[in-house]
Amino acid sequence: MPTRPPDRLIARLWVAGVLLLAALASCARRGACTGDYCGTVVIAAAGEPDILLPPVTELSPSRDVYDQVFLKLADLGMSGNTLGDEDFQPQLAERWEWAGPVTLVFHLDPRARWQDGRAVTAADVVFTYDAYTDSLVNSPHRSTLRLISAVTARDSLTAVFRFRERYPEMFYDAVYQMRILPAHLLRTIPRDQWRTAPFGRAPVGDGPYRFAAWKAGESLELVADSTFYLGRPHIRRVIFRFVPNLQVVTTQLVAGEADVTEQLGSPDNVKRACGAPQLACYPYKGAAYGYLGFNLTAPGDSTKPHPLFGDRELRRALAMAVDRGAMLRNVFGDFAKVPPGPLSQLTWIWDPETRGLPHDSAQAARLLTRLGWIDSDSDGVRDRAGQKLAFRILVPTTSAIRRQYGRLLQEQFRTFGADVQLDEVDLGLFSERARTGRFDAVLYTWNTDPTPASSIPQTWTQAGLGRSNHGRYVNAAFDRLVDRAVATMNRGEARRLWRSAIELLNQDAPAIFLFAPDAVAVAHRRIANVTVRPDSWLALLRTWRIPGDRLTDRDRAER
Amino acid sequence: MTAWIVRRLAASIAIVLAVVTLTFFLIHLAGGSPCGQSDAQSVAPEVCARLRAQFGLDRPLWEQYGKYLWAVLHGELGQSFWQRRPVIAALQDALPNTLLLAGTALVIDFTLGLALGVYQAARARRFGDIALGNAALFVNSMPTFWLGLVLLLVFAQWLHLVPVGGTHDPVLCSRLDSLQCVADRLWHLALPATTLGVVGAAATARFQRNAMLEVLAQDFVRTARAKGLRERRVLLVHALRNALLPSITLFGLAFPFLLTGAVLVEWVFAWPGMGWLSVMAIGQRDYPVVTATALVASAMVTLGNLLADALYVAADPRIRVRGA
Repeated sequence: MPTRPPDRLIARLWVAGVLLLAALASCARRGACTGDYCGTVVIAAAGEPDILLPPVTELSPSRDVYDQVFLKLADLGMSGNTLGDEDFQPQLAERWEWAGPVTLVFHLDPRARWQDGRAVTAADVVFTYDAYTDSLVNSPHRSTLRLISAVTARDSLTAVFRFRERYPEMFYDAVYQMRILPAHLLRTIPRDQWRTAPFGRAPVGDGPYRFAAWKAGESLELVADSTFYLGRPHIRRVIFRFVPNLQVVTTQLVAGEADVTEQLGSPDNVKRACGAPQLACYPYKGAAYGYLGFNLTAPGDSTKPHPLFGDRELRRALAMAVDRGAMLRNVFGDFAKVPPGPLSQLTWIWDPETRGLPHDSAQAARLLTRLGWIDSDSDGVRDRAGQKLAFRILVPTTSAIRRQYGRLLQEQFRTFGADVQLDEVDLGLFSERARTGRFDAVLYTWNTDPTPASSIPQTWTQAGLGRSNHGRYVNAAFDRLVDRAVATMNRGEARRLWRSAIELLNQDAPAIFLFAPDAVAVAHRRIANVTVRPDSWLALLRTWRIPGDRLTDRDRAER
Repeated sequence: MTAWIVRRLAASIAIVLAVVTLTFFLIHLAGGSPCGQSDAQSVAPEVCARLRAQFGLDRPLWEQYGKYLWAVLHGELGQSFWQRRPVIAALQDALPNTLLLAGTALVIDFTLGLALGVYQAARARRFGDIALGNAALFVNSMPTFWLGLVLLLVFAQWLHLVPVGGTHDPVLCSRLDSLQCVADRLWHLALPATTLGVVGAAATARFQRNAMLEVLAQDFVRTARAKGLRERRVLLVHALRNALLPSITLFGLAFPFLLTGAVLVEWVFAWPGMGWLSVMAIGQRDYPVVTATALVASAMVTLGNLLADALYVAADPRIRVRGA
């Protein structure tokens, strides 16, 4: 009787094993959860938090997570209006009142509890302010609280803020950056050790979600706090899944391995994700703007003017030479706008009518010639008194968008007789060279706060020297206009002053403002009530829900 | 033998020390700073200055190096600037993932490589041998990351047969507490391990084929066939055992290649192992993590080589260690 050859048997066993593995891996563990408070959302995140202790980190992936765990006293409304207090929504504070021009009184919600059961008190608010302003904690948000002189507790549920002066964004400064911290859990940790405190990797907060688990490099899980006093969150589990780049984020969304993401980067990714039938796209105002910034001082020596860009007229000629609209369409398609100045679309003073230098090739060429920049030796590069019109643009290798812009600018300037080379370096070196002024021109992107009052002075005024004003642009008239705009209580007047300031800056051309991308969040269609607040895309996550009839086995799966 | 082991261990320690020293100075001299790596509003200079002082980065480089070596000798690898936790904790998370990936790839490499080599030798200069030889050459000449991207595109993105990346499904398997979750881990491992293993298998197959051909021409093989043994027994028992020595050498050499290949594969498949950790740490200028990953990787490579040499001696009694 013939016997089955053993190699064939082994092969069949292998195939059976692989099929069994596939079956087991694809078989979801069924959970029992039903009704309105089930649901699991996987958020694909192209970055991982460093720590979940709000005062000691400035990374947006950290903020996305800790904003679900810790509350502010009040939060910005959908309008994004940072002036006054009308558009702010209560969070830990159920109400507030002004007890004089520079005194603000918050009344805490007596229902608020820390996730270990202790009540949230005004002592926690006092402790939080003290921590945020302590040099040992070294918070990146410390400077935003400089105009608050003191925070005291009137009683266990009343916190009093006193300011050094009266100004329009007092309320914003008091509430926007500080997440209230549990004094009873943090008091015993030495302040200089907060950056590495174990609390920061397993925080206990007072928000709608509790921290559950963090697997470094892989995922972080939050679970809904069913006792949350402002309303139980509908989504039961929120899992942040860390992926290396936006391409993989898109692939995971399309493949159904993730449900939600904040933004997709390139237009190709947006088209891929928005074309998937199970995904819905939610465009919102982006918080970033990008520009080619000129170094107005000699690279590495801020005492001398830059041999080229110290000349305002040359900068203006180069700005007029660039066709920003065509570049934008080339790189972003319809997913960005040309910014009217140093503004993201998120900023409330965004005004497309703001005057800037027009794209005018003929005028640019004439101006260069008038300035003495001519191609005297017919080598295709203009020169003046033996100096070539040649410079280098600093670009980070991590940004495909900026590398693409670098090449387009290189080509555009070449047609005007400028020899441009690209210095493509990694982000660490890029940041250092930009910070220390070792560049001719730099392709930079800023993510801005909702208010121009913090981002513009920090980046474009005398006060920003040594901080984010890497090109060292200084114009006293511009600074005065900014100061007046920041101090003006009337919103319409403030808008007018901001516009005048930006038009003045545009005439000086310290930079060519190139792009302000639209942001597009993506969410699985089974998720309802998706509302994205532009300044903080997950701020309203606790109101998102998955209706019972759309729940999948994955939604019901237990931890 | 003891003297040989002591000599090899001393050489291994010297190599590891040299790698750590080189890595320490290179990453510090590469420019950049652990402070303010994002495009958000940049961190204020005074905040950065205090951070640099806190991490000891304001001290002269030689002093930092001396302190680092002293700490390493006392089993202290420092704190990660980026992950804000002890470096040892970061390594404890990443190392098992890399060992799992590289170990599985090693199994695929040698199982597949040996099988193909034997098959080709048994059918030398016939169609199967030529076709497989060309295919192996093709695969062997492909960069690992490129092969990974192609496999990812085809099997994950187009066919949806395997996951896009990661080590597990975070929804269903946050813990390894069921057979289903073990299967899920293996399912996530399939594509990265295949990518890494199949390139090595192509090289192993070529080595093994040549070794087998040499052995098959020996008298004892002719004798075995003359005794009437079945061809399978001649190939697998008599010839293969004698043709394994070159593969053992290759085994020792394969581990470093797998570790370096794993850097790219881990990045492509979002596999959070040592390679992924070191790439992230370099980008963040997280000096303690970069140096620690170099230390662990070099220790693993030197130990792998040591192990391969020991296996070689054990496998072939004709080889005697001088001084043993």
